[in-house]
Amino acid sequence: MQDGPILEARDLRKAFGAGAGRTTILDGISFSVREGDFVAVVGPSGCGKTTLLMALAGLQPADAGEVRFRGRQVLSPPQGLALVFQDYSRSLFPWKTALRNVTFAMRGPQGRAAKAARAEELLHAVGLGDALHKYPWQLSGGMQQRVAIARGLASESDLLLLDEPLAAVDAQTRADMQDLILDLAQRFRQTCLLVTHDVDEAVYMADKVVVLSKRPTRVATEITVGLGKARDQIATREHPDYLHARHEVLARIRAFRQPVAP
Amino acid sequence: MTAALRLRGLVSLLFVLLVWETVSRLGIVPSRYFPGLAEIAAGAAEMIRNGELLAAEAMTLGRAVAGLVLATLIGIALAVLSDVSPFFERGFRTLTGLLQPIPPAAIVPLAIFGFGLGLKLYIFIIVMVTIWGPYLNGVAALRAVPVEQILNGRMMRMTPAQILWHIKLPAALPEIFAGIRYAAAVSLIAVVVSEMIAGRDGIGYLLVRKSFSIRIPETYALMFVTMVNGVLLAMLVNLGRRLLTGWHVKQMGYPA
Repeated sequence: MQDGPILEARDLRKAFGAGAGRTTILDGISFSVREGDFVAVVGPSGCGKTTLLMALAGLQPADAGEVRFRGRQVLSPPQGLALVFQDYSRSLFPWKTALRNVTFAMRGPQGRAAKAARAEELLHAVGLGDALHKYPWQLSGGMQQRVAIARGLASESDLLLLDEPLAAVDAQTRADMQDLILDLAQRFRQTCLLVTHDVDEAVYMADKVVVLSKRPTRVATEITVGLGKARDQIATREHPDYLHARHEVLARIRAFRQPVAP
Repeated sequence: MTAALRLRGLVSLLFVLLVWETVSRLGIVPSRYFPGLAEIAAGAAEMIRNGELLAAEAMTLGRAVAGLVLATLIGIALAVLSDVSPFFERGFRTLTGLLQPIPPAAIVPLAIFGFGLGLKLYIFIIVMVTIWGPYLNGVAALRAVPVEQILNGRMMRMTPAQILWHIKLPAALPEIFAGIRYAAAVSLIAVVVSEMIAGRDGIGYLLVRKSFSIRIPETYALMFVTMVNGVLLAMLVNLGRRLLTGWHVKQMGYPA
């Protein structure tokens, strides 16, 4: 791997509509993700997080600026980039079992048996070892999102994009899933970019938090969370570094509420 | 669950037969024109004995199945074309509005002029009246595929053709099958009506011949045969549905 960042957003701009109804969504977003990082992008609802993610993934290009993935400009979904959607009930294939949903994401030349073995391993890793042959609609919401995460890991991508993956699950499941994702990211050495509206989640999970402002959206600040890789739902959330980072993020969001003219 | 539902189907059939027999015995309608079940069964047995019924049944069912299969394939192909090209979809929408209301009987003269009296005649008529179920359901279902599923395909760097084949069509199939089930009944109606008007064989032709020669039990027996054909064709469609969309049948949790 090269030394530079694995993903780099440079001055991304995007507006929707035309004439008087034209709304600027992204107003110059720049940040980067290095290999091995767990980066969280946090921003309020409606600030264009999904628009940003679509541009990063190469699914819908920005109007201006560029995205570079492993040094190459992203114009369409590049190899080595995977995306886990917020709405698992719409992103899993209901006609495929959990196992088949995962093997489907393996586009490589390895044989059917090798793919199945790897998918089984991943589903065990997300705690679904006994639900391999269940269909998505036979699983609870949290379990469905675990399948989606296993599928995201299955493509052995260099970067996994997570679009509010826990927004639709209940609070207890959410805490468990945060730890699961962190554990998986460690175990599979998976570089992750998490997009969320939840400041606590962002600070708890990430090494670096990119804080977005309200629309027209800019990067309000970037905060490095000095907590190391090991996190714990109780100890971490009481740790001074966690509280400090959380304070910083909230203060920056508040300070950025009234966008100032450049 | 399954057994109980099957039993309920049987009960409703017995109910129909019971009402028929009661009406017949009460003599509300002269029994000559409304024979009892025993007489109808005897009429059916006679037609089975002399080979008329099975020969006609083979013709009619064969035509209905062939027409339905072809209509389904064409309907799905047109739905895919409409999904790929909004231009085609808009143009074809107008055509759908014009062609869909034509009753099978009204197409028969055109079909005779165009295709003569052979198998092509029936296939043409069936296709004209049955593609709409698979087509319209197909268009709606392809449009309703969750965008996340399609984006997943794009993230996996699948080509548009791969996304269509591996994601959009499987997702749309349950709703397409709902259209095929509807089309199956229409297909049988179209075959029997065409046979009645222009046929030289088949159940519809036999029905007209028997009623013109005032063979009343036989005529009713043939009417019952058309009902049974409806059930047979529905079973065939369900078999296909189980084979191709077994997951959805399981999800819905009932043997429809």
